[in-house]
Amino acid sequence: MTLLDFARGPGLQGAWLVMVGGTAWRIAGILLLRQRLHLAAPRIGFAGRVRGGLATVFTRFVPRRTFWPRIAVSVGLSSTFHLGLAVIVLGGAPHIQVIHQFFWLTWPSLPKGLVVIVSGLTLASMIALLFRRIYHPVLRLLSTTDDYLSWLLVFLPVLTGILLSGETIASYRTLLTLHILSVELMMVWLPFGKLLHVKLAFYSRAAMGMNFARKGAAT
Amino acid sequence: MESAETLGEVLGRRGFGRRSLLKFAIAMTSSLALPPALAPVMAANLAKAKRRSVIWLSFQECTGCLETLLRSSSPSIEALIFDFVSLDYQESLMAAAGADAERTLREAVAANKGEYLLAIDGSIPVKDGGVYSMTGGRSNLGMLSEIAADAKAVLAIGTCAAYGGIPKAYPNPTGAAGVEDLISGKPIVNIPGCPPVPEVLSGVLVHFISFGHLPELDDRKRPLAYFGTTIHDQCYRRPFYDQGKFAKSFDDEGARQGWCLFELGCKGPVTHNACASLKWNGGTSFPIESGHGCIGCSEPDFWDAGSFYTSLAGGSSAGWRNTGIALGVGVAGGLAAALSGRRKST
Amino acid sequence: MTDFSFLTDDKLVEALLMEVAGLLRGLIDRDEGGSIDLRGLPLSPSCIETLDRCLGQGEISVVLDAAGRSEIRETSLPGVWWTKHADGAGRVIALLIEVAVTPAILRADLADMKRGLDRMPALLAKTAGRTS
Repeated sequence: MTLLDFARGPGLQGAWLVMVGGTAWRIAGILLLRQRLHLAAPRIGFAGRVRGGLATVFTRFVPRRTFWPRIAVSVGLSSTFHLGLAVIVLGGAPHIQVIHQFFWLTWPSLPKGLVVIVSGLTLASMIALLFRRIYHPVLRLLSTTDDYLSWLLVFLPVLTGILLSGETIASYRTLLTLHILSVELMMVWLPFGKLLHVKLAFYSRAAMGMNFARKGAAT
Repeated sequence: MESAETLGEVLGRRGFGRRSLLKFAIAMTSSLALPPALAPVMAANLAKAKRRSVIWLSFQECTGCLETLLRSSSPSIEALIFDFVSLDYQESLMAAAGADAERTLREAVAANKGEYLLAIDGSIPVKDGGVYSMTGGRSNLGMLSEIAADAKAVLAIGTCAAYGGIPKAYPNPTGAAGVEDLISGKPIVNIPGCPPVPEVLSGVLVHFISFGHLPELDDRKRPLAYFGTTIHDQCYRRPFYDQGKFAKSFDDEGARQGWCLFELGCKGPVTHNACASLKWNGGTSFPIESGHGCIGCSEPDFWDAGSFYTSLAGGSSAGWRNTGIALGVGVAGGLAAALSGRRKST
Repeated sequence: MTDFSFLTDDKLVEALLMEVAGLLRGLIDRDEGGSIDLRGLPLSPSCIETLDRCLGQGEISVVLDAAGRSEIRETSLPGVWWTKHADGAGRVIALLIEVAVTPAILRADLADMKRGLDRMPALLAKTAGRTS
């Protein structure tokens, strides 16, 4: 069995099972956390709380105006790289193929050139964010191994993906193998670190929004 | 057996002048990606060379390799190759059988000790003492070790001889292996393919006879001139790949337009071979030209690399059942963790 | 494999013509020409056609029948030859631009000439038989 055969076979299956099982474990654990007892009566009915929760999911995409001058750059970079990843994963023809193969869903792909340009922007913004994390005194103190590892495991698939699209540096086989393996590493790590925000970001925003709504605070 | 005559004399007697030889050398240098200036040198060396003894042993194989090589050459200039070698032992082709055949082999080895080329097609079973493939009461492994010991070089012809091929495919009941896994200390050249491209064998033989050594090989012992690029690199449908134009099924508009077959499982991007440039059946076409993706038959373990029709972008799925089990185990683990957390906090 | 698709036909033809000029200069100055193996280069059929048209037709065309047909044409540039070798089945096995005073394959070979000479007595005997 060549390394590519492993990556496309047992490697992919294993990474998928670890990701599914690990995510189920984390989410089940979170859902079963003991809820803090609310001693005050809710200010708003259940429907209002749900509305507040849902609204928060979207309002938090745009930061408060007072914070803008300080965080415009990092929000811009983060948005670029998050939107970039979405474009790459949902727009790249080979990625749609993988999704189609596993879930029978399909949609038209974006032109390869566009996906490559977006990948370049994504890569550049990720590098900029890493520098910011390293050189920003507060952010550096707050950063743990998890942050750097999660960054690396997202960075590698993007990097190998760009190299693969150009078929430079190494052979197609080598680059494809590295690309698939790097994605599998990310899949394995996803449930256990901060990458789980892929699944939890909206959940935590909604939970917070509902809590605020209950207390009558602005969401 | 080696004759005292030089190749130039043999060809001259048969009515082939030196021009034919030079023309052959021009075609061969082109095929071997050598500088054209080497053609006259190659022609001169070939004219002076003696016929080289080739001993061909067939192990766990289907005879497809031999069929391809025999069928290919009749009208082409490569037919000359049969004047350059003396095929002293080949069980499928020789008239001798039984004890006579065994004597022929012994004599050929003795007469050309250290000078003959050993050609192998088929894989070698090593499990249970190699009992799964025997000739005249001897195991393939025993014959290979013995005959290879006195060979000048070993040619592993076809994917089975090179890497184990289909006999080695899961679950490999006979413990099949390729030549390079079993022989050491000899120059080995792999000419993989199921079957291999005949022109590659001609190129390797001619290079060896005219220059006295094997052509430049890559890290898998394949002649670089033929295996240096992938099918994808040389494919005439490559522009469609670059433009993102893919056939989605074998009978859609894209397939009719001759678009790239990547999404239909073509393994061209990871397959090293010369099909796209040399083509098959006297230059008629090659699989992609006939509308089917490359199945990667010249790569190790190609039979176990998943479906021929799953694109390289995809892979084998873990299945809904296993996914369900993982989901269940995960939820149970989360439940247990949460419960133990609650107990601790109270 | 390097991707040559960024090169247009014109650029490739230009590069090859420069190469031909270099070889021709070598032939004039140092008496050493050379060949360009057109099948070893990633050229499209249209590119080869353009190159053929650019080089044009000279004074000599030779057809060789040796283990298949070969066509050797002098281009409009003296000393530059367009050489196409086919095998017995008519399949092209080599396509070259050769820069030489005479393409090597046209010269009669010493061993071949000797073999011819050896045949002379028999030929003479036959001729003598016919005239007597």
